[in-house]
Amino acid sequence: MDINYYKEQLQAKEDMLARTTGFLSEIQNSLTEKNNYLANIQQDIFDSVNFAKLIQTSLLPDVDILKIFFNDAAYEISQQIGIGGDTIFIKSTNSGVVFCLLDATGHGIPATMLSISGSLILNDITSSLEIDNPSVLLKLLNYRLHKTFNNDKRSIAHFEGIVFYYCSKQNMLTYSSAKGKAFLINLNGNVISLQSSKNSVGENPNAEFERFELSFQKGEKLMLFSDGLTDQFGGEHDKKFSVLRLKQLLSGHSHKTVSELKEIIYQEHKAWKGNNKQTDDLSYKLIEF
Amino acid sequence: MKTIPKNPFEFKIVYNNSYVTLSYNEGLAMAICKADSEYIPIDEFKKIFLFVSEYIETSKICYFVFDKTNLRTFHQPSMEWYFAVWKPSLIVKGLVNHYKILPKLEWFAKAVEAGKHEIFQKYGKDILNGINITYVSSINEAIEQIQKDKKSSL
Repeated sequence: MDINYYKEQLQAKEDMLARTTGFLSEIQNSLTEKNNYLANIQQDIFDSVNFAKLIQTSLLPDVDILKIFFNDAAYEISQQIGIGGDTIFIKSTNSGVVFCLLDATGHGIPATMLSISGSLILNDITSSLEIDNPSVLLKLLNYRLHKTFNNDKRSIAHFEGIVFYYCSKQNMLTYSSAKGKAFLINLNGNVISLQSSKNSVGENPNAEFERFELSFQKGEKLMLFSDGLTDQFGGEHDKKFSVLRLKQLLSGHSHKTVSELKEIIYQEHKAWKGNNKQTDDLSYKLIEF
Repeated sequence: MKTIPKNPFEFKIVYNNSYVTLSYNEGLAMAICKADSEYIPIDEFKKIFLFVSEYIETSKICYFVFDKTNLRTFHQPSMEWYFAVWKPSLIVKGLVNHYKILPKLEWFAKAVEAGKHEIFQKYGKDILNGINITYVSSINEAIEQIQKDKKSSL
């Protein structure tokens, strides 16, 4: 090989280096451009979700309505992405108060839309009819949801939840549950799971929801909750928070006020979750009789 | 003392200079162009490939392996000619299956990618229409693939 060979090779190497550098710069510029584009989209989505959160939060009821009828009340709602499918509903009627907790199928934007629809339908039903039977209320909600969203070809709107009706004149509390979850916490710390029908809301237009009467004593507490609370993954072995753990927690703190209990549950759930993602939308409501 | 051959096929050398060795196996209808230097000047590069263009007239070549393992310089004008002029001219002579072996150097692979990107920008990706290009890590891997290809076409 003579000197010209090496000169030519050096020139070719320089040329190769320049071309490769140019190519890599082109890729880098393209990636920067795409990154900026995605960052803008992310910001748009973030802003949109934040605004939707404001709308959904505005629909949440005033817990003080319950305090008119009961000794104390509190609730917590934490949707997975700021917005979600859990709904708290409280509305006074001529003879008492209706309160419930509903959990729409799924999470995110579709569940949020279902949750808002559920709230509005419930509001409509309770405004147009004086209903003192939670079973009828669930039946009407079920029918309306099914008629609006579900048919032979698709089935997109389902809720699990529990509806209570308290008649102040008779001091009587009745409820009806569509796979909804609730506990009665006795004065001695016993935590009793309330019964539920096997149907969820929206599944079958002719579904029946059984009505139950719940007797209570002054100082006892009622807790309604969605499965986002008990299904949260976390802890040392990345397991679900579980109904059992929640029961033990409530039993151990049964003497606390509902506000204190609300905070204890919140902190325990947060500690259990740790750095994990929130598994699902979660909400719970506490009432002291 | 018996020695185990590196591959079971005998290739005869049909062209050789300081920069490349061209070998051929009639049974496989396969030619291997192995770079022996870090860089091949464009004139020498064209000479060897034009030799292949002539050689294919008398000896059937269906598979062509370009072993660039020893190369350290990717010469863009040579590659442009190789892609845009030489390869298409060989399609009509029945050579459409090309195998390539690159040096195991990330920067070289990137330089090849940059060079191909430039060629595609200039000529469009249609330049490769009718040509099968497969990257392999060794001659033996190319032979294995060719044998599979032959079996499946039977």
